Amino acid sequence: MQRRFFATLRVTGGRELRPYVRREHSLLAGLEILDLADEKASFCSKLLADLGAEVIKIERPGGDASRWIGPFWQNTPHPERSLPFWHNNSNKLGITLNLEKKDGQRILRQLASKTDVVIETFPPRYLKKLELDYESLSQINSRLISASVTGFGQSGPHKQYKSCDIIASATGGQMCVCGAPDTPPLKPYGEQSYYIASLFAAIGILIALRERKHSGKGQHIDISLQEAVAATLEHVLVRYFYDNVVSQRQGGSRQNNSFCLLPCKDGYILLMIARDWDILVEWLDSEGMASDLKEEKWQDEQYRRQHWNHIVDILTYWTKTHTRAELFKLAQLMHLPWAPVASQEEAVNSTHLLARNFFVSVEHPELANTGLTPHIYKYPGAPYKFSSSTMKLRRAPLIGEHNTQVYQEKLGLSISDLERLSASKVI
Amino acid sequence: MDKNRLFNNLTCHSEGAQRPKNLLSNSFRSFLSSGPELRASAHQDKLHEESRDPERQRRVTDEHPYKNALEGIRVLDFTWLLAGPYATRILADFGAEVIKVQSQKVATGAESNSTGYFNTWNRNKLGITLDMSCPEARDIALRLVKMSDIVMENFTPRVMSNWGLSYDELVEVKPNIIMLSMSGMGEAGPWRDFIALGPTIQAFSGITHLTSFPKSPPLGLGYSYADPAAGLFAVLAVLAALEHRDETGQGQHIDISEYETMCSLLGPAILDYTVNHNVATPQGNNPGYIAAAPYGCYKCLGDDRWCVIAVSMEEEWQALRDVLGHPAWSREERFSTLSRRKEHSEELNELLEQWTVKHTPEEIMNLLQQASVPAGIVEDANDLANDTQLTARNFFIQTEHPVLGKTTSDNTPIKLSRTPARFRRPAPLLGQDNYYVYREILGMSEQELSQYIKEGVIS
Repeated sequence: MQRRFFATLRVTGGRELRPYVRREHSLLAGLEILDLADEKASFCSKLLADLGAEVIKIERPGGDASRWIGPFWQNTPHPERSLPFWHNNSNKLGITLNLEKKDGQRILRQLASKTDVVIETFPPRYLKKLELDYESLSQINSRLISASVTGFGQSGPHKQYKSCDIIASATGGQMCVCGAPDTPPLKPYGEQSYYIASLFAAIGILIALRERKHSGKGQHIDISLQEAVAATLEHVLVRYFYDNVVSQRQGGSRQNNSFCLLPCKDGYILLMIARDWDILVEWLDSEGMASDLKEEKWQDEQYRRQHWNHIVDILTYWTKTHTRAELFKLAQLMHLPWAPVASQEEAVNSTHLLARNFFVSVEHPELANTGLTPHIYKYPGAPYKFSSSTMKLRRAPLIGEHNTQVYQEKLGLSISDLERLSASKVI
Repeated sequence: MDKNRLFNNLTCHSEGAQRPKNLLSNSFRSFLSSGPELRASAHQDKLHEESRDPERQRRVTDEHPYKNALEGIRVLDFTWLLAGPYATRILADFGAEVIKVQSQKVATGAESNSTGYFNTWNRNKLGITLDMSCPEARDIALRLVKMSDIVMENFTPRVMSNWGLSYDELVEVKPNIIMLSMSGMGEAGPWRDFIALGPTIQAFSGITHLTSFPKSPPLGLGYSYADPAAGLFAVLAVLAALEHRDETGQGQHIDISEYETMCSLLGPAILDYTVNHNVATPQGNNPGYIAAAPYGCYKCLGDDRWCVIAVSMEEEWQALRDVLGHPAWSREERFSTLSRRKEHSEELNELLEQWTVKHTPEEIMNLLQQASVPAGIVEDANDLANDTQLTARNFFIQTEHPVLGKTTSDNTPIKLSRTPARFRRPAPLLGQDNYYVYREILGMSEQELSQYIKEGVIS
């Protein structure tokens, strides 16, 4: 099935795709990162690892709890088969380390003394108790850059409050503008707050890295999920502070009086009707479906806003006689920014993504002996194409997969050291 | 009908498509052409005077003990609307010298300088005018490129090359330039010429379809989320390219597709499809694959007030029962373990809502969080502006704008301990920094500058 989708690739227009120069030097080569983050920010070091940084993911013995978040490969729960874990930890090395044990803390200090960046998501104060917080670690490595991602940040009256994606979405102002007037507020699909916070953290790390070139010193980066969400609300805060408008959830048919989602023969289409009114009315009229919209009073934008429902009724009558593709193609010819509402299947199978090589093949040799399915999978790649390099992905580490390599190379531990640490449940 | 076929056949200039009659003459209108253009020439003159002052730049930095993190990085900023300006604002917040290029012709709607929208996304930037439709403008632009580290733009793919400012042409004057191009679909590929805005990108990506309640028509997000999201990827990309330039001496061209940025934010669902052929469907406020119950959005006391509660650990469930006063239902067998609670989540949510409707979301968040149960208020813009946590962390900053007066906007959520972002100036008025940029940076003579202004090239 999968093969058939990819076989339908057709490039029918646009510029010829130039093969990018093979990478000689990955963008962040030489940058070393210790990743202590759970699912709230494992995407942060994934972003940096995909750009060429060496990321060592540090998990508790037995593996991080985020390995138990589904969906799973072949829908069977297993700590080596969590797809979100696969996605968020590609290109990383993986080691296990028990931070609750003194030896574990000592080893982390040793690793931190030689690294550039530490990323963590523990509740504030937790690492301080273990003397592994930024203050403590910066005393042994003044060049250390450390990023903390938590629900409400490292300061303020709510810093100890617990959070997760839906809490961040609600307290960050996302949910109250999603959904319809007759539904509860709605959380956007996926773990958007984790990803946005991870992006902010990754940017903060690279900014601190640049600054370090001048000062020779690292610094701490404090990211709050709540703020990350509140900082990406587009019009919501602008309209509040400048126009005294408190944006509400408006449903599909009335997004800020400019966009609306209307039904077609085969799904929904997103229309922008805040501008190009005349074009729209002429179009409807050419099909004899403009009804009273040709009347002079509809020229008035204010009037249109007040009688929005009537417009939506007439437009719905019209859109239902067409497929999404019919409307979309014509709209493009008239430079109207409309779009078909794609199902997930359609979105993933777009010829455009395929033509741009958005998907990257990733080998899973550890699944080879399970038979049946091929062990090369298509992962979503990066949304940027660098002329200097192409993206490569290595699958997420297995639990403790790189213990020997990392502990030997970075800390010079011997096999017997490792056996001893393993026996005392440190690694 | 094969659903996948529909999308495979979408191309911009499809041979089969026909335009309806009478529409050819209206075939193009510029984006967001509405909105009054506010001018403030008196203020502009005053600010021009200030920008003449050679001490100005130094004074600003002397007041602060630290250097700005991105000091010394110059960005020639051709971006407009939101995705691009959002990206260059982050660079400007941390001290990069961002020179925003505008012209009288395009400074309308969202790009009208004295609007709240513009002021919010363009603070800390310098503003110059250069009318790229004049033939002389290209040479001036290339002179600016020569003085810059980074060029950023988010036009549809043809615009920069039509101006003679393609990456290949920039490299001729500045071999190690970093150019970032961001567009709805990206520089290459069959859909590159699609007209797209944030909400349409969301529709293409699947997030509009997926953001709804189970088995319901799409609702989507009530704002343009794709623009700031794409802006974040853009900042990350240029910073990585700067690292690369430091190491290798080489610049490069970066092509960002806003469509792909949204797909990146749906990664696990996409992987579930490519690996397992599972098709993601709308989840509403259900936990999906997260092991949690009760979990969701609950009605509270008050007019359209709501809270969220997410209980995953056993001790959180016990703490929730404590706060509720151990009602009889909470002892029932069907709610005795997490998996049983998840199985009976609908009944559980209904019972919990009977409690939440008697309390305000503020009470619930405080009561539950004090007991270490994850809970939150569904905050609207007014709640955010008065949120004690956000306020305590200076998430909002009050600033002064020469035309708009006292204004408020969100600070950056990137909190650096030693060299934090700083507010240095409001968004520029149209051409506010022409004198400084053309005279001081480019070294134009007074005569040359006034000639260009007279000819309408710098305008």
